[in-house]
Amino acid sequence: MAAPMELSCWGGDWGLPSLHPESLTVMAYAKFSGAPLTVNTINNPWRAPKGDVPVLISEDIVISQPAKILNFLRKQKYNADYELSAKQGADTLAYIALLEEKLLPALLHTFWVEAENYCSVTKPWFASRMTFPLSLYLPGKMSREALNRILLTRGGPPIYSLTEVEAQIYRDAKECLNLLSKRLGTSQFFFGDTPTTLDAFVFGFLAPIYKVCFPRVQLQEHLKQLPNLCRFCDDILTCYFRLTVSGHSPAGQDTADANLQKLTQLVNKESNLIEKMDDNLRKSPQHPPRKLTTLKLAAGGEESSPLNRLSP
Amino acid sequence: ATLCFQAFLQMCNLPIQVVCRANAEYMSPSGKLPFIHVGNQVVSELGPIVQFVKAKGHSLSDGLDEVQKAEMKAYMELVNNMLLTAELYLQWCDDVTVEEITHPRYGSPYPWPLNRILSYQKQWEVRRKMKAIGWAGKTLEQVLEDVDQCCQALSQRLGTQPYFFNKQPTELDALVFGHLFTILTTQLTTDELSEKVKNYSNLTAFCRRIEQQYFEGHDRDSSATAAARSAKRSLLR
Repeated sequence: MAAPMELSCWGGDWGLPSLHPESLTVMAYAKFSGAPLTVNTINNPWRAPKGDVPVLISEDIVISQPAKILNFLRKQKYNADYELSAKQGADTLAYIALLEEKLLPALLHTFWVEAENYCSVTKPWFASRMTFPLSLYLPGKMSREALNRILLTRGGPPIYSLTEVEAQIYRDAKECLNLLSKRLGTSQFFFGDTPTTLDAFVFGFLAPIYKVCFPRVQLQEHLKQLPNLCRFCDDILTCYFRLTVSGHSPAGQDTADANLQKLTQLVNKESNLIEKMDDNLRKSPQHPPRKLTTLKLAAGGEESSPLNRLSP
Repeated sequence: ATLCFQAFLQMCNLPIQVVCRANAEYMSPSGKLPFIHVGNQVVSELGPIVQFVKAKGHSLSDGLDEVQKAEMKAYMELVNNMLLTAELYLQWCDDVTVEEITHPRYGSPYPWPLNRILSYQKQWEVRRKMKAIGWAGKTLEQVLEDVDQCCQALSQRLGTQPYFFNKQPTELDALVFGHLFTILTTQLTTDELSEKVKNYSNLTAFCRRIEQQYFEGHDRDSSATAAARSAKRSLLR
């Protein structure tokens, strides 16, 4: 049995185990490969060795970037790519590069640079999770780093203004989402029926866009027009993050079956919960009655969000 | 990059004339090389040039279905992400290479002190970019390992086929050829980078095949194009 492994990363909200794409990727991979990780949410990234997040600590070994963490897990025999052919392995690398080049700038922009989003959602959320006085300084620093990265990688001439850069990166991101959707098609995961590294990365990047409620949501709206990607995120959330069965067994298939049964029970429970919440809201004096449209499979913290987003 | 795009145009059977100018970077509308000058239009960078050529009715990727096009774009990003950044890193962040090769080459068209100033400026710019994307902390070995991984992926994708998709060359083939050929033929302080590529015999065979098929008509001008290529490389990014 491998030494106990601990992952330090940012916490989650809106139904996600973490808001940080890289942390989410590592967590998803650990679930897929059955690696037993204890997850610690941090409130002081500077205390983490090297200041990088997420960081994996196993005995004396400290590893900080997602790619390296995944490599380490593979070496410890937690390999989600076991059944992939060489060509599929190559495809994985290529699609990850596509995500980083095309989707990441827009993701960073939505979270950290778009003024309304940053001020009303991102900054308060991260600040509330950091100790004082870091909460005053660090969100601003992360925002500046994100802007810097976007401008340096995307902002050369002939694009001279920030609005043009923004338009370009959102165009690229939407194209990337379309490509991913075409590649996924109707299958459950990118390479057949079992999730792999690529699924972990795609989930890590897509889930924050999909779930976090921002005032400016053009990327989320585009994503919602691609139902197979939404279904992909929801499936992973429900199968791997909501239902911890004896979930550390590498027999992914068995847990998936057991998960499916629990899923049905959960759906019923959730729809009851949602009806109750709806009644409460109707009785509440502050909010006007709202219609409930199609309910997605959502967990606790998130019921309020479909309701909030129905504003005309 | 110049080569990628010469290869691409050759594949489309469009005749081109290679010209080198010292101020090419400034003539280009986006500040990046290469660029083409057609009639009274000027278009730069591989992406827009491909679009431009497509609009004129020549396209190499029409025979691909949607999933293959997605794959092609993904592989092109992989090449851009890994190979291009590694080339930049080697040229500008590895101190030995910078001193002995890059600075003299980059500054060669200009008199002193302009040559030193411009090379330092470029170096500072590239290092800033590396820092932003997280490559500044990488050592040379790590960069070479990344290149190796990228080549392995490309080699596995190519397999035993003549081109990456079916029997017809596409933009991806042009891009990969351009980068690999540059790596294989550029003189650097160490041969480690080209050794990494040479480890994959199907990739070297691929380069040779494209060179023979699309560039052999220019054998007579090969010395001219080689000089053009090396001059253009001195202005590379």
